[in-house]
Amino acid sequence: MSDWKQNLQKFRYVMDTLLLTSFMLVSAPQATGIPLHEWFSLFFIIPFVIHLLLHWDWVTRSFGRLFANITARERFNIVWDYLLYLMMLLVFVSGFLVSVALLPALNISLNIQDFWSKIHHDSATFIMPMLGVHLALNFSWIVKLTKRMFAKEAK
Amino acid sequence: MKHLKQQWKTRTSIVLVVSVLVSLLLVSLELTDWAAQINQQGYSHGAAEGEKPKIAPILMYILPFVKELILIGVPMLLTLGIAKLLGLIKRVVKN
Repeated sequence: MSDWKQNLQKFRYVMDTLLLTSFMLVSAPQATGIPLHEWFSLFFIIPFVIHLLLHWDWVTRSFGRLFANITARERFNIVWDYLLYLMMLLVFVSGFLVSVALLPALNISLNIQDFWSKIHHDSATFIMPMLGVHLALNFSWIVKLTKRMFAKEAK
Repeated sequence: MKHLKQQWKTRTSIVLVVSVLVSLLLVSLELTDWAAQINQQGYSHGAAEGEKPKIAPILMYILPFVKELILIGVPMLLTLGIAKLLGLIKRVVKN
């Protein structure tokens, strides 16, 4: 575990764990309160971008792979990840457009529309099962890395 | 950290520019008839303003995370089950 900063897979694992933990924290406004929810959401952009940067190879190759001779599972995985990215952006955008703490604190005033309130509530709920499917599609990697991370180092 | 530092400025800029462009497209949804209809109907969820939920205070902090675990965990387990079943069917058909 000590070499996680040097090993790409282990570094991804640690950053993805951080991303999942921060996602769960950000997705519980009833527990944290709205102001903290909005500020956490702003900082959540950092682990989200790190996740994309650490999978840069996938980001650049995935679109081309869609037109290659690949398995149905891989094709589904690629399309699902694109949809998850779009849904995440929708949650972000709608969240900022219904902000009652963050934007007013930055002296930005908005006329909050019911449309964006509904979209934010619905998309933030819908992204959770989407994330569940995303985790399931990468479950073998998660299991493999969990074993590697916590394996006792040979002496 | 060396994995993140690799061309991070260019890559982060690309991610941010693409995300902002897609976000602007998403913002244009408010110009649709669908948005106008929802705005006209009005929307509210959760307890009314000032009204306190009738549950133990400690549960107010726990239940949101339980909800998340269920909303993420159940689809994950279902997907794993379906994937396993499809793999099994594939093997049976092959033999």
